[in-house]
Amino acid sequence: MLNATLKILQKFDLLVIAVLFLLLAPIISMDRSIDFMIFCIFVLAYDLLYGYMGRLSFGHMLYLGVGAYAFALSGEYLAANVFLALLIAVGSGAATGLIVGPIVVRTTGACFALINLALNQLGYFLVLVAFSRWTGGEDGMSASFKRVGIFNFSNHTIVFCFTFACMLLVVFLVRRLTNSLLGILLRGIKENETRVKFLGYDTFVIKMAAFILSTTLSAFAGALFIINYSYVTTSFIDPLRSVEVIFACLIGGAGSVYGALAGGVGYKLISNYLPNYIQRWEMFLGVVLLLLVFKFRSGVWGYVAAFVKRCDRPAEETKSHPEVSR
Amino acid sequence: MISTLAYGLTVGGILYIISIGLSLTFGTMRIVNFAHALVYTLAAYILVTSMHVLGVGFFLSAIIAVAAVIPLSYVIERFVIRRLYGQSIDYAIIATFAVLLIGVDAIKWIWGAVPIPLSDPVGASFSLLGVELPVYRFIIILISLLIFAGLELFFGRTVVGKIIVAGLEDKEALASLGINVDKYFAVAFTLGSCLAALGGVLYAPITAINPYMGFQVLLICFAVVVVGGMGSIRGTFVAAFALGMVMSITGRFWGPAADTMVFVVLGLVLIVKPIEA
Repeated sequence: MLNATLKILQKFDLLVIAVLFLLLAPIISMDRSIDFMIFCIFVLAYDLLYGYMGRLSFGHMLYLGVGAYAFALSGEYLAANVFLALLIAVGSGAATGLIVGPIVVRTTGACFALINLALNQLGYFLVLVAFSRWTGGEDGMSASFKRVGIFNFSNHTIVFCFTFACMLLVVFLVRRLTNSLLGILLRGIKENETRVKFLGYDTFVIKMAAFILSTTLSAFAGALFIINYSYVTTSFIDPLRSVEVIFACLIGGAGSVYGALAGGVGYKLISNYLPNYIQRWEMFLGVVLLLLVFKFRSGVWGYVAAFVKRCDRPAEETKSHPEVSR
Repeated sequence: MISTLAYGLTVGGILYIISIGLSLTFGTMRIVNFAHALVYTLAAYILVTSMHVLGVGFFLSAIIAVAAVIPLSYVIERFVIRRLYGQSIDYAIIATFAVLLIGVDAIKWIWGAVPIPLSDPVGASFSLLGVELPVYRFIIILISLLIFAGLELFFGRTVVGKIIVAGLEDKEALASLGINVDKYFAVAFTLGSCLAALGGVLYAPITAINPYMGFQVLLICFAVVVVGGMGSIRGTFVAAFALGMVMSITGRFWGPAADTMVFVVLGLVLIVKPIEA
């Protein structure tokens, strides 16, 4: 009985995710759920690198910030068309990945984390000081757009529907991608890069592809944040905030699309509601991070997946790819 | 010109004192230790508190501050770092960052987030080729050189130092000689923490003390460690002074870019010589 239900759930997972998010919206106000969904896109982009490829980036806010600022700046100086600005933001995210990728993806482990952090610091400086004439420095800048057809982005219902569709699209894309050959190769690189090379694959190209995809999606999430808030400040590129997305990834369980969604929502719930009750919020975050690292490494989704697997054991032979179909 | 040179050497000396602990931790235990910044910040706060509350002078307070971080670094080593030996480096980064978050929040809880200024403890200055230079800067440069000489002796002449250097090379071979590796690594960690505390104490009069002072310095020290070659003790010395000069020369022309230039240098170094770690 449980097996059958789970199978059906797995088959229509996109629908289940859609329904869950639609249910979330009335519980925690629409504005908040827009924020949650955009953050989920960012977590998915991050998880592609951390969960699947096994590279911990400590400066992913850079790529979010690139998208956010490209979106706001192109709205200010180029065109007031929101979709053109989105396209420019996504394009600049991809371009950033293409430019810094060859330096970044060659490194592993600590170096990967630190060079991303250094690049993020560089980007933060550029936005805060060097280009402050255009970006407004610490004060930030506002971004307003004229309506295009039915897409009037000053109406929050429209923004909700748009981000909702975007999130489902990103979930669909990432899930397809991680189940494809590229996704399997990424996991292979996480486990043992030399062996993937030995099988005849050019790991540099694979890593570049994943990195550029991650930066592009992050930039997309950044642009969506600006659609929602209609202003941009340096907090969108602040390297100190990079830990948020790592935290979200760990809560949910790295290396799974559902885990990323659970982590994104979980982190946002904690950060939105807990500071009302607990004053020492950073301390709480630190303690939870320590607990996650030492005791609950597989995150929320890891436990759900283990539970499902236990229920599924009698039917295990019929499932062809239990690992890949996550 | 001379003041730029003097400033570069001062910053380089402080960077060296702080970075040596990071380099040791990375070289021996393969751990990137974000908690290093916590020790650095905390020492500066203890210095101010002991100066104000106990009313003792700067140098006695400095000794108190450096001694006070020993128990803290032992706790961090015993309960966080030691549990991460030989595991994925990502978890080490996250766990030590969590320690940093907890510590910084505790500092804000106890001392508040308002920056505390501290005056130059020496106060005197001397003139060199017509340029007024504070004696305190000169003392910092002298201390860093003394520490370099002391560490050279420690790692070259004493048994404990030699064991730590051997641990940088090959941990397994060292353990197979029947040496309790963890014990010596704990010594190296505590030594590094004490030096970080000394760096915080020495740097406190030059900048204002605030809870986030560790973050910025830590990033630059990571750059020093990477540029100097991770786990290389002499490389750290050279890289610290080189990057200190980079900072002071950049700062002379465009102040806000001083920190960022360090990361540009780091990027260039990594392009030429990527590090497998």
